[in-house]
Amino acid sequence: MNRRQFLTSTTAAVLLATPALLRGAAAQESPFRVKYYPVAAGMGSRDVAPAPDGMIWFCGQRNGTLGRLDPQDGTFKLIDLGKGAAPHGVVIGPDGAPWVTEGGQNAIARVDPADHKVTLFRLPEKEAYANLNTGVFDKSGIFWFTGQSGIYGRLDPKSGDMTVFKAPRGRGTYGMTITPKGDVWYASLAGNHIARIDLASGNAKVVEPPTPNQGARRVWSDSKGRLWVSEWNSGNVSMHDPADGSWKAWKLPGDNPRTYSVYVDDKDKVWLTDFSANAIVRFDPLTEKFNAFPSDKAGANVRQMNGRPGEAWGGESGTNRLVVIQTVAPA
Amino acid sequence: MRFFAVLLSLAICAAAPAGAEENGERLFAPCRACHSLDPAERGLPGPNLAGVIGRGIGGDTAFDYSPVLRKARDDGLRWDVQRLNSFLADPAEMFPGLWMSMRGVEDAAERQALVRFLADPASR
Repeated sequence: MNRRQFLTSTTAAVLLATPALLRGAAAQESPFRVKYYPVAAGMGSRDVAPAPDGMIWFCGQRNGTLGRLDPQDGTFKLIDLGKGAAPHGVVIGPDGAPWVTEGGQNAIARVDPADHKVTLFRLPEKEAYANLNTGVFDKSGIFWFTGQSGIYGRLDPKSGDMTVFKAPRGRGTYGMTITPKGDVWYASLAGNHIARIDLASGNAKVVEPPTPNQGARRVWSDSKGRLWVSEWNSGNVSMHDPADGSWKAWKLPGDNPRTYSVYVDDKDKVWLTDFSANAIVRFDPLTEKFNAFPSDKAGANVRQMNGRPGEAWGGESGTNRLVVIQTVAPA
Repeated sequence: MRFFAVLLSLAICAAAPAGAEENGERLFAPCRACHSLDPAERGLPGPNLAGVIGRGIGGDTAFDYSPVLRKARDDGLRWDVQRLNSFLADPAEMFPGLWMSMRGVEDAAERQALVRFLADPASR
């Protein structure tokens, strides 16, 4: 069992903010509500995962904790993941627990949602510097993960068996996604591509976006299995349809956009973050228009988004807050 | 100024425990996902770190830095051993809003080994 520390805050405040427009973005097409949730100072709140019970789990990369926010009242709890922990990504497993790509201890961490016990599944010693990044569960319950040093891997949570694979083009393996039919893909930031993992063999097949040196950082599937890619270097959001091999790309609004993350909601609207604009940007594939939601604080740096129907969540790593944008349903 | 940096480097190296030299390379391993020490290797997600000591902050002319590092560059700040050591303890503390995301190296000996590895090509 891992050393744990359980911290509780009862003083977190919830702020209301009004979304604003980014130069070059279209007028907003429906009402949105933006809320900010301050968490612990200096924690570097980043990747988030909404849980079935309504809680939001989030990584504190700078202080080695996993946080759990109750959006109802803004209170949060922090769970110490262990000495030197530096959690990067978190997803909810089929068991309802948060599973963490825990780069500091070079391990996959499971946190029991009831008693907050931390269980570590360490990578093999020969993969000691994986720089763990993002994870996703496939339909059979296997946890797949990336390490930015140039690996990806699989973990069977039931047996604890783990296999690590060398990425075909080395370093850069970053965001991951699963399509509705169960295919698992990753994006390679330094490798400028996306790749599909053959779940049986573990081999990865590289697919290159048409924009050279685009910096494909994260990837997310929509309901049709089309892959949306956040391109850091080009400032594009691109879309690949594996069914016909096609690609499309759109430049984010504003000067010199830097597209960091991508998340596709249940309505197939595409949520992006742009570090140059210090904004969350929503893209509607039907109208091909952008809505921008600049943060009300400088240097917000939302590095990943996730959500549930009507809510898109992110962690402002630079301001130590979580942010949610709610899409208000028409009356 | 360069002499001062060398003195600091020597002081830090003298304080490093046995084995710290090889730890520098080990500690740099995760950084290689974004950074290179080969001056010819360009186009990575992070700036090239060849010759970083003595260089101005935000000094890789081929790299697009965070606003906070652009400001530091415009303010004329430079990397020396002491500043790099403080930076690596908690990068976002020194430069809030930094685009790079990492937990700082809290262990002083490990941090010194990493700084020495970055500062001195002979240590690699």
